Amino acid sequence: MAIAAKGPRTSDVVAQQLRGRSTDVKGIIFQAALLFALLLSLLILLVLIADVARGGLGVFQERGGEFLRGRLTVVSPTTAGVGQGIVGSLLLLIFVVLMAFPVGVAAAIYLEEYASDTRFNRFIDVNIRNLAGVPSIVYGLLGLVIFVQVLAPLTGGKTVMAGGLTLAILVLPIVIITSMEALRAVPDSIREAGFGVGATRWEVIRSHVLPAAAPGILTGTVLSISRAIGETAPLLVVGATTGLLATGGRGFFESFREGYTALPVVVFRWTSLPNEDFRALTSAAIIVLLIMTLSANAIAIILRNRYERKW
Amino acid sequence: MTNTRDKVWLKTLLVALALALVGAACADASSDTDSGGGGGDSEALSGEVVVSGSSTVEPISVAVGEKFIAENPEVAVKIDGPGTSDGFELFCDGQTDISDASRPIDPEEVEVCEKNGIEFIELKVAIDGLSVITSVNNSEVDCLDFHDLYALLGPESEGFESWSDADDLAEEIGAGHAPYPDVPLDVTAPGEESGTFDSFGEIVMEDIAYEERKIKEDDPVIRPDYQASANDNVIIEGISGSDTSLGWVGYAFYQSNDETVKALPIAEEGDDCVEPNPETISSGDYPIARDLFIYVKTESADRPEVQAFVDLYLSEEGIASVSEVGYVDLATEDLEETRGVWESQETGSREG
Repeated sequence: MAIAAKGPRTSDVVAQQLRGRSTDVKGIIFQAALLFALLLSLLILLVLIADVARGGLGVFQERGGEFLRGRLTVVSPTTAGVGQGIVGSLLLLIFVVLMAFPVGVAAAIYLEEYASDTRFNRFIDVNIRNLAGVPSIVYGLLGLVIFVQVLAPLTGGKTVMAGGLTLAILVLPIVIITSMEALRAVPDSIREAGFGVGATRWEVIRSHVLPAAAPGILTGTVLSISRAIGETAPLLVVGATTGLLATGGRGFFESFREGYTALPVVVFRWTSLPNEDFRALTSAAIIVLLIMTLSANAIAIILRNRYERKW
Repeated sequence: MTNTRDKVWLKTLLVALALALVGAACADASSDTDSGGGGGDSEALSGEVVVSGSSTVEPISVAVGEKFIAENPEVAVKIDGPGTSDGFELFCDGQTDISDASRPIDPEEVEVCEKNGIEFIELKVAIDGLSVITSVNNSEVDCLDFHDLYALLGPESEGFESWSDADDLAEEIGAGHAPYPDVPLDVTAPGEESGTFDSFGEIVMEDIAYEERKIKEDDPVIRPDYQASANDNVIIEGISGSDTSLGWVGYAFYQSNDETVKALPIAEEGDDCVEPNPETISSGDYPIARDLFIYVKTESADRPEVQAFVDLYLSEEGIASVSEVGYVDLATEDLEETRGVWESQETGSREG
């Protein structure tokens, strides 16, 4: 009702009447503390963004698209750019998408829909959750041994392929967990209805469970992409290039087995250079990285809203 | 209805993937055209040059590399700088053609190289001075010698919180500029992993610590209790943040921050304090300087693209990169010597 919407909340009114006239001092303090916590975290975020914007926007005004296409370098701030960083990050993501998504979703389907609730399966489940919390540098070391050294004949050593596969392994547990949650959120009645009309388990999963879980799976996987975009430590370990990179005019698919660099690695390297001009470039590169991450998040939100179903 | 709905999410995924691929391909193509343009030579070189090693030397190699790819767009060049030691590990494993180094290769590393059949040519390319720095607002101190630095930063100074805490030690070892002011001593400097840390300890501390003070050989020669950072810009921040700070960085970092930090003139002994600048570092008058090297694998040096890269490195055009990126040029006769070594393809290390 109109009165309720304008005045104090019904719950507050009821609480007030039950308690009598005394004001709830502790309650007010608690509320203030909560508000303070919220404002503090927002303030820190704002300061960060303002600082980066102040340093980096000038670069876009001056150099514009040329900065977005420029090559990686540590010596000449006037020609340095993030072109190779953006390309490298996108190439890495191709491997993340191609590797982590199918494998992760398949593993989640098995664990949720097929695996019976044995002690062994619960053990696997718990360990996947633990893997999601393992520091990224550990995955970097794993990638160095497996993809850079052992599988060198396939990946060609410190290449995009090795870096991409390392990131794929890194986000795999996250993909599995979010997909499992999404599958679990599909009501059992949907499955039972499918079985009830004589569908096989695979048919039920393919035409009912998966479509229903798709928004959740997509959200989780896209969010894991934005995690992968921002990772620096494992890439430094598996050999992303920090200084100079020239492919010598090789083609797109050949570049899978070439050296590479990535946006966060560029940011990392540029912060430790003596030349002051690189500080503005670093801020500008951070802005590009933020935009890439935020677009991935935005895609996740749009997909979720687009396909969400209410039960 | 359900049928179309089923496929929608799959299609969305495929479209997103396709977009990513197209985007990557386009951006790739545009970055490649940047490197074109040059190529006046009649025979175009191809192949690849892989350089790794010291992050201090990396900018010089990158500057040379930029000039190189402008002339040779067909050659793939990859340069990075994980550190001198990491660089030698890759180099002696045969993974790189050229290794940048901010110190000479050490005997253990030579052994690994020999075991793997890697021969190399050692080329000295530049000099880097280490600047002892403090805040521009510090007017209390205007000169320090090696014994002063030992008293303030050496292993026996652990726990000193004020400059004057070092007075007794300074007197005992005969430091030239004690007593020091009674002001807080805020030390910010490179961490142990850095070549700059090693060089400072070797040049300034080791003789005093091991010979005069009889510290056990191989014990650390720099106090452990200070703000350490691997990022030189963080060190500059720390130094400018306190009026009575003390620390050290490579000369290039001091040079690009000389409004916020000042370099203290240094004497090896007594009062002949010398300020770091290109002349004093190049002539050897400034006492804390180190040589910067590149190591070229002999096998790679036979490949035309690597040969062309090193030729350019040592040419007038290439070696100008040294001062362009803030390091100090070799004296003319040293440069001639380096060129001689390259021409005669003399292998092995000639340093210590």
